[in-house]
Amino acid sequence: MTARTVLKNEWRLLMADRPLKIALGLFVVLLGYALTNGVVWLRFQERTVEATTSGNVERASALRQELEAIEAGGQPSSPFADPRSPRVLGGPSGSHTAVLAPGPLTALAIGQSDLLPYYYDVNIYTNEASFQQNGEVENPLNLMVGRFDLTFAVVYLLPLLVLALSFNVLSEEREQGTLALTLSQPVSARSVVTVKLAFRALVVAGIVLGVSLLGALATGGFGSPGRILLWSVTVVAYSLFWFALAAWVNALGRSSAWNATVLVGAWLVLVVVLPAAINAAAGLLHPLPSRVEMVTAQREASNDAVNRRSELLARYLEDHPEMAEGVVADEPGLGALSWAATDAVNGRLEEVAAEHDARRAEQTALVRRYRFLSPALLAQEALLDAAGTGDARFADFQSQVRVFAEQWREFFVPAIMADEQMNAGVLADVPTFSLVDGDSADPACRATAPLAVLAGLLALIGAAAGVRLGRVRGAD
Amino acid sequence: MTESQESHTGAAPLLEARGLTKDYGGTRALDSLDLAIAPGEVYCLLGPNGAGKTTTINLFLGFVAPSAGQALVAGLNVSTHDRESKRRLAYIPEQVMLYRNLSGIENLEYFAALGGQGSLRRERLVEILVEAGLDGETAGRRVSTYSKGMRQKVGIAIAIAKKADALLLDEPTSGLDPTASNEFSALVERLRNRGVAVLMATHDLFRAKDTGTRVGIMHYGRLVTELSTAEIGHADLERVYLEHVSDNGGPR
Repeated sequence: MTARTVLKNEWRLLMADRPLKIALGLFVVLLGYALTNGVVWLRFQERTVEATTSGNVERASALRQELEAIEAGGQPSSPFADPRSPRVLGGPSGSHTAVLAPGPLTALAIGQSDLLPYYYDVNIYTNEASFQQNGEVENPLNLMVGRFDLTFAVVYLLPLLVLALSFNVLSEEREQGTLALTLSQPVSARSVVTVKLAFRALVVAGIVLGVSLLGALATGGFGSPGRILLWSVTVVAYSLFWFALAAWVNALGRSSAWNATVLVGAWLVLVVVLPAAINAAAGLLHPLPSRVEMVTAQREASNDAVNRRSELLARYLEDHPEMAEGVVADEPGLGALSWAATDAVNGRLEEVAAEHDARRAEQTALVRRYRFLSPALLAQEALLDAAGTGDARFADFQSQVRVFAEQWREFFVPAIMADEQMNAGVLADVPTFSLVDGDSADPACRATAPLAVLAGLLALIGAAAGVRLGRVRGAD
Repeated sequence: MTESQESHTGAAPLLEARGLTKDYGGTRALDSLDLAIAPGEVYCLLGPNGAGKTTTINLFLGFVAPSAGQALVAGLNVSTHDRESKRRLAYIPEQVMLYRNLSGIENLEYFAALGGQGSLRRERLVEILVEAGLDGETAGRRVSTYSKGMRQKVGIAIAIAKKADALLLDEPTSGLDPTASNEFSALVERLRNRGVAVLMATHDLFRAKDTGTRVGIMHYGRLVTELSTAEIGHADLERVYLEHVSDNGGPR
């Protein structure tokens, strides 16, 4: 009865509070804008994926037609682009684009998908430098602050709305004098505050989850109910964390102004300062090698390789004796010489990339270790994992592309070394990329740790608030 | 008083204090108060600021815990039966503060429901507010437009709706004009006639004499004397009051 009574009263108070209704309306508008941004990005990504996928088909089809024409007695369109050459067929003109389809809930969380490449042109020249470059032209400001998507709105703005709704949930009752009259009734401050906050939580969660579900519905996200559930659980847990914090601060018995100052300070520290400090510390303690270093290494290795082609070929054959068959060391073909040089460049780049990857791994480990300090980081990680746009999915995609690039080389390099010509028949055997989306199986598993910590923080602060609220009487 | 107290009238008391004591740090705000108020009695606590009147009321409400002794409502120890005792109590503070953006009807509906009366129909709520002295049109207006007297009437309406056995009033007529004060006293009188036990803290000797059945004069946390209003005139009450509150006790 008490819960229903307080809920009804809260609804009336909300309906009678114009500024609060305006704040809620503004929040809904911002969420709508964030969702629109997400949908626009998703459509762009879908168009790109469609274009690259059809590009694969068109390239293969054109090469097949040309090879069949040549086999029927025709001439190649250019002597430098003879598709019978394995360097041409396995090179840029015959390349296969490996594509990562947008995550199931990309419209809700753009995440890293505007920063990390989601397609790679794979050919025999694909090397570590290819993985270090992002071909997309993007506004640097967008990259720096991230796009204004639903995840951004949830992580940054939702706490502000929660605090605006609850910073004075008890202090206002005390200040306007209604607390004494309330607590002269057979109810406890704890139960009244709990119901008042539960009402606000229902309003906030209702709005955010409503917009989220609308977005998922509009973009086919309902195909992944588990992800939607994970997203919803994260939104609710993150909201409740801020409500619990507001309850605890209110239970301390200070003024509304003091509560507001402390809670906004907490937001600033937990949502803005700590994540920035952790990222800055990662960059400072484990700086990434400069990209210029990678480019310089590539140039130096290329020059060196050109100058020492014969020597490199001999070394390559020592390292890959299986390739020696068919290669006449005294009279090596142009392809063999060229490939040996390419392989030397790749080797040098792998060294630089390994250093780069090691530093990045150290950075990631540091951020992962200290992310538990900030509920905002925890929520963001869980939301991105739920949406399938987190780091892990991109790392998984990149490692699969590396394997695919290796398969591609293994298919074409023996022919290059042996100076063999290829025909239309081999096209059916050319490797194609198909993503094994391992991420789809375990987002819940990966989100378990951040969600568990978030739930732990929530329980801790909620319990502290409950204990303090249990001591609230009418005359303090 | 004996261990099994009886009220002044001999009926079982609805409000009872047994050796009720409250210390704040090293200061004794209330010192071994013994008191029993029967159904239909209006007991007025008189005394200067800091005498312990509001502390007594807060102890009956369970807003503060006693340092020693017991506060009982209908025989229930407030410290151990918080909710049950509050179900039988109504409280009107010096300033009845309500939700300003809601109407008198909505405020009454809320507090009556919190008090355990369930969801009352709108017609019944208006009836109660009219009984408490508000007209129907005012009852439907936002409380932000109410005077203090109107808010006090909503406070009385809450007590009526709650069907409380005992009423605690903390300087309820302070700041009211004479007409509003008289109206308020009439409402208290009406509740008294229904058998409600009333404990009223006040500075208003005149109103205590007219409204109360007994008065108790407090000074520095002690009940220094009790008088029956039927046996004393206004002038005598003032004289006794001044005799007892002249600063000869000193804080403990």
